[in-house]
Amino acid sequence: MNLDQFKPLTVYTIYIASTPEKVWEALTSAEFSRKYFSGFAVEMEPKLGGSFVVHAPDGSEHIRGEVFEYDPPRRLTVSWNVNWPDLVEKLGTTIVTYEIEQAGEAVRLTLSQRHDRELSDDILSGGRTGWPAILSGLKSLLETGKAPHIEMSPPVRLLEALKAMGIKVP
Amino acid sequence: MDEVFKALADSSRRSLLDRLHARNGQTLNELCEGLAMTRQAVTKHLAILEEANLITTIRHGREKLHYLNPMPIHQIGERWIRKFERSKLAALNELKRQLENGDE
Repeated sequence: MNLDQFKPLTVYTIYIASTPEKVWEALTSAEFSRKYFSGFAVEMEPKLGGSFVVHAPDGSEHIRGEVFEYDPPRRLTVSWNVNWPDLVEKLGTTIVTYEIEQAGEAVRLTLSQRHDRELSDDILSGGRTGWPAILSGLKSLLETGKAPHIEMSPPVRLLEALKAMGIKVP
Repeated sequence: MDEVFKALADSSRRSLLDRLHARNGQTLNELCEGLAMTRQAVTKHLAILEEANLITTIRHGREKLHYLNPMPIHQIGERWIRKFERSKLAALNELKRQLENGDE
């Protein structure tokens, strides 16, 4: 798969008073992700080509992907494919890149979500409502030890758009 | 937080954010198209917006693309707005429940 064909459509940047190593660990471990990512558990095989899986709180597999760029603690790129039938076939693979840089005494975390085709705002709305909450939660957790409980309502616009494309959603 | 408010306190900069909101991931050339501002002015405003973390730039191939970053405004929302929105929604839900139940 050629990453150059994937263009960033959504890019978010947040500053976190922590270290690059801690930010990397929080992004790639279940113990941390359960706290800031609404109970979802991230599990990654720590190597190029390794698996990158996210389990829902009920233990079912929600996202499955692969590690495409692996440069701890600076850069991680994974495929981020939600396990709904036909989703990847109809929308293409979703690529997520985390860039972690020291910025003075803080860490600058840049998240970019990349796609190999144009997608409507309705489709992109899922990520656009989800990521700010996830990133804010991560920041709070690393800075204060606690992540606020965030009510994540289902991304209605996204689900409607997927249904209109014939994708079966739970 | 000061730099966010200072960055937003200029209508030219707000219109650049509007443009990115309408179409994210634009090059400098694309952002300058059809604007009354000089290229130099656009570059200056983009630097201020980036300094305030309201935009992020990413290299894609040979181009530098500009993206709207909502995180600073999201955090302002979390700080001052969110609990008021929630209260309003709760009040509306309660009113709806009462009307549906025929409460006087």
